Amino acid sequence: MARPFPLLALAIALPALAACGSSENTRANNMSDYGDDSRRARAQQIGNQLQSSGIVLFGTDRSRQAQDAAAGPGLAVNAYLWRATLDTLSFMPLASADPFGGVIITDWYSPASTPDERFKATAYVLGRQLRSDGIRITVFRQVRRGGQWLDAAVSNATGSELEDKVLARARELRSQSAAR
Amino acid sequence: MRKILLGTTAVVGAALLGAGTASAQQAPTVRIGGYFNFFTGYTQQTSANANNVPMVTSPGDNGTGSNGTSTVQNGSVRTNKWDMRSDAEVHVFVDGKTANGISYGAVIELEVDASEGQLLNSRRNTSAKTGVSTDEMYGFIATPLLGQIRYGDEDGVLGGLMNTGVVTNFGTGGVYGEWQNFVIRSGPRTTTSPGDLGDATKVIYLSPQFFGFDFGASFAPNQGQGSGNGCIQNIPTYTCDRAITWTGATANGVNHDNYTSRRNEYQVAGRWRGTLGGIGLAVSGGYIGSGAPQDINTTGTVITRGLNGLGVAYGGIQATAYGFTLGANYQHGDGNFFWQPTVRGSRAMDQWMIGASYTIGPVTFGGNFVTGTYAGNQGNTVNTTTGAFVTNNNTAQARQQRRYGMSFGGNYRLAPGLDIVAEYTNYRIRERGVDLDGIANNGVQDRLRADVFILGTRLAF
Repeated sequence: MARPFPLLALAIALPALAACGSSENTRANNMSDYGDDSRRARAQQIGNQLQSSGIVLFGTDRSRQAQDAAAGPGLAVNAYLWRATLDTLSFMPLASADPFGGVIITDWYSPASTPDERFKATAYVLGRQLRSDGIRITVFRQVRRGGQWLDAAVSNATGSELEDKVLARARELRSQSAAR
Repeated sequence: MRKILLGTTAVVGAALLGAGTASAQQAPTVRIGGYFNFFTGYTQQTSANANNVPMVTSPGDNGTGSNGTSTVQNGSVRTNKWDMRSDAEVHVFVDGKTANGISYGAVIELEVDASEGQLLNSRRNTSAKTGVSTDEMYGFIATPLLGQIRYGDEDGVLGGLMNTGVVTNFGTGGVYGEWQNFVIRSGPRTTTSPGDLGDATKVIYLSPQFFGFDFGASFAPNQGQGSGNGCIQNIPTYTCDRAITWTGATANGVNHDNYTSRRNEYQVAGRWRGTLGGIGLAVSGGYIGSGAPQDINTTGTVITRGLNGLGVAYGGIQATAYGFTLGANYQHGDGNFFWQPTVRGSRAMDQWMIGASYTIGPVTFGGNFVTGTYAGNQGNTVNTTTGAFVTNNNTAQARQQRRYGMSFGGNYRLAPGLDIVAEYTNYRIRERGVDLDGIANNGVQDRLRADVFILGTRLAF
């Protein structure tokens, strides 16, 4: 004879137990993480190919947005971080940008107010995920003394502040995309 | 600082805090998917012909003529081996996300094989076999941290959602595939696959994944699904979803897969998925239990417990690497084939299954094998007049049914979703001393066999 009451207690306890895991080691399952006995699902298992998400009748095709976001066409790194880095460093002349390696290198830039001081930045977008540690920026500084450019110290916070600006811009881009 | 910046961007994380993320709300999308398949099949089976047995011989009725008289009379039938089959389903998916990050939606699957049989020129109370009905239909609510709740007509956590070791990703699914649609039911059919547990209306909880582990539980009050109460008359009948006791429950509950023969069905399952040395591994285990209806004599004065509740433990393991998939599963407990309850005094079910597949480029091929021992047509009954439990003392009967199924198949993927499929299946049933085909006057057929070869195409979208 089935006794549903212990089961009820279990049903209440399970979500609580699940919530106890640390968020870093906990992730949501996708619908595709579960078995499906329909013949459609079985057909899509063949060859371990990506499942079709069907044809969108109403609403926005977010699966395509997600693909674009993870790595847009021609990008091997997170598109939000990539575009945010370009936007943030756009006040400096660009020397090179490698979307496959995720490297952006600027040329030397002298602010108009301090012509004897110039800056150069190197940015690395480190992966496909939109993570706070997915961007690293190094800033170089030189000062002119006696007609020669000499290396000078840069505050440790400078690169970090630029990274925060990139992350804020990435957040902005992500939010705009979600609202579409 | 950085965590805050992105944390407030993350849709669900911000949702739990409850403010400032209105832009993350997503209007529901409606998607449509499904499949169409076409197969031609060559079937060799025992009991494909019938001689001088009661049957409906007049096209256009279901055994009762227009004036209410029975049209069932003795007759004979011969069948051939070739046939063609087409089938389709249309699935509707609705997905949305609230401003506070809760995902929600519904899945509605429409199938076009509502009935196995058909009556040509049918009268008003019959239907064609291509009628549209629902397969699964359920709603869901999910958050990344708390997991997902599904509610509606859906598989349970061990009825397909979290099982591992069921290798069916070749052909049409091997022993759990399309071959059954080509076999006349007097031959061997059906296996105790996870999906055969049915889509009884239920509530399901599915946990998030942490350290590769996740778990789930489901509960269904009975075996009914969909709308309506299931009663086929204006009075309570044994088909009512809420029926818990009826005359003949013991005799019919073990053999018919659509009787309301499970009560308070619960399933619990746990699973681990991960990678070891480049090999993808998945292990799962769990238990399905239920109560069973009781028998009541015809005058309603004596209630007798003739059936055991369902109580089956399941374990499965699966490994995937370099295009290979290997899997095995085992289940043991009180349960008959068709996942029906057993009569008191019956043996427990033991079933195991192994399977393997290999994918190289557009080609996938594989095979699977299932075997088991079951109570079968055990023979203990309840006397419907007195309500007494009657033990079958026929020593000529084995009290054990053995089933064997093996299948090999392959697919060639012409385009995404479009396959050419070929598959061969052999299935056998043995139960000494029991006439398994239900054709009384052709002797005791206690060994049934079917061989089915199918070739066709399938489009999933």
